[in-house]
Amino acid sequence: MISAIYSFAMTTGANRVVRGARIEHVCGDPGLGPEKDYAYGMRIVKKALEAITVPVSGPTLFDPHEGEAVHAS
Amino acid sequence: MTKPVRVVHYLNQFFAGIGGEERADAGVSMRPEPVGPGRALQAALGDGGGIVGTVICGDNHIAEREREAVAAIRAELESLRPDVMVAGPAFGSGRYGLACAAACRAASALGIPALTGMHPDNPAVEADRQRVVIVPTAESATGMQPALVSLARFALRLGRGETLGPAEVEGYIGQGKRRVWDRGRPGYQRALDMLLDKLHGRPFTSEVPFRAPDRVTPATPVADLSRAAIAMVTTGGLVRKGNPDRQVAANATRYHRHSIKELEALTPEGWEAYHAGYFNHLVNKNPNYILPLSFLRDLEGKGQIGRVHEWMYALPGVSTPVAMARQLGRSIAEDLREARVDGVLLVAT
Repeated sequence: MISAIYSFAMTTGANRVVRGARIEHVCGDPGLGPEKDYAYGMRIVKKALEAITVPVSGPTLFDPHEGEAVHAS
Repeated sequence: MTKPVRVVHYLNQFFAGIGGEERADAGVSMRPEPVGPGRALQAALGDGGGIVGTVICGDNHIAEREREAVAAIRAELESLRPDVMVAGPAFGSGRYGLACAAACRAASALGIPALTGMHPDNPAVEADRQRVVIVPTAESATGMQPALVSLARFALRLGRGETLGPAEVEGYIGQGKRRVWDRGRPGYQRALDMLLDKLHGRPFTSEVPFRAPDRVTPATPVADLSRAAIAMVTTGGLVRKGNPDRQVAANATRYHRHSIKELEALTPEGWEAYHAGYFNHLVNKNPNYILPLSFLRDLEGKGQIGRVHEWMYALPGVSTPVAMARQLGRSIAEDLREARVDGVLLVAT
């Protein structure tokens, strides 16, 4: 699940949570201008695709801003 | 003095003393007296009520041939004409719990009030609590006596035609029904009292019970993205431009499925958001923010994912009760599983 309110996604039981940009623009950021906006969105989507290839045991955050998984517990 | 309430008691083969698992396929039978725990139930009813018959059915029989068993139970109830039916209690037994609930529904369908007792974690509670009055009991039959006392108390009231008050006051398991009810004091006073209790470390009871979220078993990882079919779901309220499918903006009771087979990206000419929970203007300029089709097509073209699933799913995820969200989510998941999709990206606003 890609969500800007990622902490809420994790506490409600989603297992693979990807940190999105903001509620109004989850996959990208129009403030960055077209090129960087697309690159940022792509980074989020790629992180989401990576997340579904990784085994998890419970709610786990995948943060495209850091590039590593942070466990909920 | 009022007439004693006529009670019919429902039991499985085990509690009726017919036998254990080896007799779980026993069909419906009736005995015109209290049987097994029915004797203690009769004692708990006192002069207020009398057990006029005990309907007995094997747990496997009703589980496997519910229609046939329920029809036979109905026939017994029609001839006994009770004022109320008590089923069980089933404690923690899931199969017996479902049987008791089915028996209660059969009675209710005839206009006969009915109730059963079981442990709150019994799977039948989740399945039937909205339709059946269920009194909480212990997990095993060691809690028989208090369970029967509580069932008797409710049975007499229901049998006399009384309407039960709210679950939290009466003590039965909440049915998820909302009725207008006067708590006597306005909300701000109750809230402030609760806050003071909390600050002083005193016990208090919330009027909005917390229900812990489900633990969901994580899906098996996708082994090879370059061969995987990837689907997309959004709760961002994505609609075709102008909302021709008449999606609601909040409190959805259905989702919408759209083909994206021919599309390379979502354009603002073709799509927009209709969602009461956030400002939609940015998504209306670039709908790919909530359904990342443009990105996935890019990756599909480069061979980094196998293919984009031809259907996407959308609904506005705002003000939706958990039970409805669960039902919609399950339906989408079943659809995607049937289509043999390997992975799903769900974008939540």
